Amino acid sequence: MNTSEINVKPKFNLIKFIKSIPKSIMATIDNPTFQRQAIATVGSIVLAMLIAAIVMLMVGYNAGLGFIALIRSSIVQWDRVLFYATPLIFTGLSVALAFRCGLFNIGPEGQVYVGALAATIVGFSVSLPFGIHPIVCLLIGAFVGFLWGFLPGLLKAYRGAHEVVTTMMLSYTAILLTEWLIKNPYDDPTNDNLVQTISILPTAELPKIFGIFLSWALIVAMLVVLCVYFLLNKTVLGYEMRAVGMNLEAAESAGINSKRTVAVSLGLAGALAGMGGAAEILGYHHRFRKDWSVGLGWDGITVAVLGYSNPFGVLFAAIFFGALRVGGNSMQLIAGIPAEMVVLIQGLIVMFVAAPRVISWLQEKGTLELKMISIDKKRGMPHFITLGITLVCSILGFILLSSISVHSPILGGIVILSSLIAIAAFIMLFMQSESGFKLTIAAGIGWAIVALLGIIYAVNILIIGTVFAAILLVFPLLSLLVIDDKKLENGGNE
Amino acid sequence: MQGIDAQLFGVLIAQTLKMATPLILAALGGMFSEKSGVVNIGLEGMMLVGAFSAAVATYFTNNPWFGLLVGMLGGAALALLHAIVCVKFKGDHIVSGTGIILLGAGITTIGLDLVWGNTGQSDQVTLLPNVNIPQLEGIPVIGSIFGTLSPIIYLMFGIVIVCWYVLYRTPIGLRIRAAGEDPSTLDTAGINVENIRILAVILSGVLAGLAGAYLSISFEAAFSRGMTSGRGFIALAAMIFGNWTPVGCLIAGLFFGFLASLEIVLQVVLGVGIVTQYGHFIQMIPFVLVIVAIAGIRKSVPPKGIAVPYEKEKRA
Repeated sequence: MNTSEINVKPKFNLIKFIKSIPKSIMATIDNPTFQRQAIATVGSIVLAMLIAAIVMLMVGYNAGLGFIALIRSSIVQWDRVLFYATPLIFTGLSVALAFRCGLFNIGPEGQVYVGALAATIVGFSVSLPFGIHPIVCLLIGAFVGFLWGFLPGLLKAYRGAHEVVTTMMLSYTAILLTEWLIKNPYDDPTNDNLVQTISILPTAELPKIFGIFLSWALIVAMLVVLCVYFLLNKTVLGYEMRAVGMNLEAAESAGINSKRTVAVSLGLAGALAGMGGAAEILGYHHRFRKDWSVGLGWDGITVAVLGYSNPFGVLFAAIFFGALRVGGNSMQLIAGIPAEMVVLIQGLIVMFVAAPRVISWLQEKGTLELKMISIDKKRGMPHFITLGITLVCSILGFILLSSISVHSPILGGIVILSSLIAIAAFIMLFMQSESGFKLTIAAGIGWAIVALLGIIYAVNILIIGTVFAAILLVFPLLSLLVIDDKKLENGGNE
Repeated sequence: MQGIDAQLFGVLIAQTLKMATPLILAALGGMFSEKSGVVNIGLEGMMLVGAFSAAVATYFTNNPWFGLLVGMLGGAALALLHAIVCVKFKGDHIVSGTGIILLGAGITTIGLDLVWGNTGQSDQVTLLPNVNIPQLEGIPVIGSIFGTLSPIIYLMFGIVIVCWYVLYRTPIGLRIRAAGEDPSTLDTAGINVENIRILAVILSGVLAGLAGAYLSISFEAAFSRGMTSGRGFIALAAMIFGNWTPVGCLIAGLFFGFLASLEIVLQVVLGVGIVTQYGHFIQMIPFVLVIVAIAGIRKSVPPKGIAVPYEKEKRA
């Protein structure tokens, strides 16, 4: 064997790579880390939905109808789901790529804006044949986005400027700059009312693949997911990025040029967001209008978080967010629930994802409660019932709030306070803390005051208040008595 | 001409103070949290909830001072959630902060729908009365602005001093700083690191809530959806710019406020036409300056133990 043969680098084989994907997917599914993450994510989603349902019930929305609308529309209008998901795939990948290198790209919004405007300008000012034009536009968008990310990358690598500050500041700068550009040099002369550019040429448009929403942008997004997966897991640069993200000092001592890696990663993150903006314009908007991006960059951060910074995770998270958005719209249309309910659900999911330990903690306490019921019936049953009634009473309290506070704001205030105390009692009881019983009694006393005031205002308040107070007072007192009995049996000490 | 210049100068100072106050308060909040070792990018959400709860309480009681208190409590409630997730459950600080921002946006919009029946803007609420100090109004040049300032602006200067005093001259301040710099030493000294961190995060929520309340019951007389419009993030930048110190936050906040109000003054000096055409670039100045300053002037040094959950058994 001669030296030249040894020096020949192994050639990259595309077919082999594609064939390896199913195998690596199977390997991922078998991976316990992945399983844990999947359970945590699904658990987070279920818990967030549950809490959202309780909140909806409390504030008097029709939660059942809302959820039916949400689920139904996200299945029936699947093309819209994918349409909303497309830009989020790009921005999510952008944030995820930076995360993997230990960087927080908080400014994909601005990168989306500059990429989109660059693509629009090339789209209407340059004449290119069909098929090549959109590709050129996408690449230009990605390139401008790259520059917008590369600058903070350089500043981070060579000047130590914190990327959270620089990317965010550049994001605001980009939004202002693009707005000025579409107001002045690139203004649409035919329309004075809207701040927008003229339409891109038909050759530059990405053709639709289904209905009026879904375009080739989705296909591009899917390809980009594969590319990012390949980049992160199969290339030297990706390896270096992950190494720097895990431990910068260790990567440096292993001979990796961490400065270059940091700068390039933020640049690539910018390129992904910029391409996302370009694809959105070429596929749907066809022109750059003021404030066209409704926080796509910000949602990208959440998508990356939910997808655990994994390209395929980002893909699923983006589709999930698309579904939530479509569902939110029809929730508003059908059940009259503000679409922002979806933002609340997203927030709750992210909170749970932030702390996987919450879920295991809930599991632990839940099994403890079940154990208590089955082993120590005399103590467990009253405890469990008190747990139930505190939750139900607080929910009912909020539902009744509007009809009670009509009589007097003071009554309303007391009802809010008692309901909040009941929630606190629920949490304390769930944590197996004895103070939960005392809080329940406090909530009961609150309702008793409501009942007393009911004598002045209205009879039905007297009745409601008495019932609530009775329920809230009887069970905790009973449980405390049971516990006292136990103490007596044990000679005063537990 | 002399009169106009003096008047303009007064307007510039007043406007700077008005724009800077929410930034400084929120930046101080972020500082407390980060000094104790908990990253708090959720300031924006806490400010929104503070603004909303202040507006609601003022709307129902017609007492803006009570509204101010409720606004601080609202911010603190959301901060408590952040503290529980980050400190008790050792969650990821940045992820939790993102969640806090979303929760703040979601809760306030749904609250708007519930209380006022629309998701855009609340009804008008009673404003905090401006502070009148007749003795000061005699001062030339800047005397005219004193009647137009909100009490929170005066309060803000007091809070900066108190923050400095608490952080550098009291045991609790020392503990907060130690929790962020070297938690295991603090633990060895027999202090509960988790409690200190939770306290600091709640304090940061109180300050962010105050900043939000200022927006809805003093800067404007209503709550509108997303009314903080990125101020939480700019406050975060001010905090980093101010190198995690109270006086630094004050200076950085005043600087950002000055740049934000420069547009008004330039409109008078340069003429409305030019400023309307190139107004975008004037608005860009603060952002670009921050980048230049952060990259060129000096390196910011965050607390050492930041974003690292403290585990008792683990030794660094």
